[in-house]
Amino acid sequence: MIRLENVTKRYSSEVVALDDVSFEVPKGEFVFLVGPSGSGKSTLLRLINRQERPEEGSVWVAGRDIVDMPANHIPQLRRNIGNVFQDYKLLLNKTVFENIAFALEVIGKPQHVISQQVPAVIDLVGLSGKEDRFPHQLSGGEQQRVSIARAFVNRPLILVADEPTGNLDPSTGEGIMRLLDRINGTGTTVVMATHDRRIVDAMRRRVVQLDRGVIVRDQERGVYQ
Amino acid sequence: MSRLRYMFRETGESIRRNPSLSVASVITAAVSLLIFGLTLIIQHGFDNLLSQWEGGVEMIVYVNSGAGEEQRLVIEDALGQQQGVTIESWSYCDVACSLSDADRLFAGDPVTRSQLTEVNIPTQYKVVPLDATQVDILRGLRDRYLELPNVYSVQLAEEQLDLISKLQGFVSTYTTGLWIALMVAASLLIWNTIRTAMFARRREIEVMKLVGATDWFIRLPFMLEGLLQGIAGGAVASVAMWFINGRWTAGVEAFPANSGMTALVVVDGYEWRVGLIVVLFGALIGTIGSGTAASKFLDV
Repeated sequence: MIRLENVTKRYSSEVVALDDVSFEVPKGEFVFLVGPSGSGKSTLLRLINRQERPEEGSVWVAGRDIVDMPANHIPQLRRNIGNVFQDYKLLLNKTVFENIAFALEVIGKPQHVISQQVPAVIDLVGLSGKEDRFPHQLSGGEQQRVSIARAFVNRPLILVADEPTGNLDPSTGEGIMRLLDRINGTGTTVVMATHDRRIVDAMRRRVVQLDRGVIVRDQERGVYQ
Repeated sequence: MSRLRYMFRETGESIRRNPSLSVASVITAAVSLLIFGLTLIIQHGFDNLLSQWEGGVEMIVYVNSGAGEEQRLVIEDALGQQQGVTIESWSYCDVACSLSDADRLFAGDPVTRSQLTEVNIPTQYKVVPLDATQVDILRGLRDRYLELPNVYSVQLAEEQLDLISKLQGFVSTYTTGLWIALMVAASLLIWNTIRTAMFARRREIEVMKLVGATDWFIRLPFMLEGLLQGIAGGAVASVAMWFINGRWTAGVEAFPANSGMTALVVVDGYEWRVGLIVVLFGALIGTIGSGTAASKFLDV
């Protein structure tokens, strides 16, 4: 599903975010990216959805090398990748329903599809009854659930999550992880960058550890260390 | 259909979020387009004023109404003798042609125009000289033709043309400069309005890009906003132009018939065409301003 081959990403001659990184994520896998701040986790996620391009190497997503993908093909790529962020990135002037519907609306989905898929995903993330609330009327955990619902409403092949529990207390974070686990259970590949030792240790999934732009560990059913 | 609904909804929201900037853009566009429209109207008024001198005509010999063909032959003989010597060519403007000229020349003076009929309007010989700079020769010809029977009067272009041409050049130069400058200002203000709107909605744009919206899908509501501002400016300018033109035309009616200004009006429907051009031009500057901003600031 995702394959990086000898990828190097530099922000300047001194700042090397990723240095000759290669790894592969098969379809349906759940992968944690761990490592200290500045180790290259976020850069790696940004390469997967083509927010960044590497200086060297190739990035394959769903069977296509996306490094030299024409700009007009990128939207189609991104429709297959859901994004979840630490700061949720919700639209404050839109309700829960509207925030989630927005993701379908802007890719031109018809109204009948929106009115069918949005309630289903709201139910999946456990926010039924809160459709008309605005983000400021929700807790942090609920806001992250909206963010996950928005990322998943289009049933993407891949879900990338950058520190999704970073702003949440441990028990709320666990709820979010259960949700991501459920989504992974539907066949969606999940790649998640995190600092949260407890979560990684509890989930026992594949762990890829980065340090200064280099993969220093790739372990099946790993722990944080 | 849902895309269209989305586009109009987002455009409306964007305008509502930034009403003062939107109003400023519309007013600036309206002022520049008004001056653009008035420039076209004034140019057309001057063209009307000078229409009888088109095609290098430097002298007009007016013939008494009711002069028959034989009586006109005397004048034509006199003109023919000079052809190739001092005159390059001449043409006869009959009753219908003279009435048509009168329509333009007295467009701002309907009372005088109504007194000119098929029976009493003087017909004209329009004379193109070999060398228009030889004013003395033309004056000599005028004196000679004035003595011919049935010649009502002889008018030289130099008496009217010089002043009007200078005035036309002056007005067109400065008004053209002014409307171009203001049009650039309007376009830049629309550009800035769209930039501000995009900055205000940068989070939405970021989310839209991440969920797979195409650049065109993101751009279009902003371009529509600029287009609407341009059209609104054009519509305001058209109404103002129609009002000013009406007031000027009414004012010219009060001028004396021999003021030479009675043709400096536009009442032949041209003002409606200019109104349409102004609205289309408004749409164009709105689209250009917003389109360039929407493309440049898409990566907010």
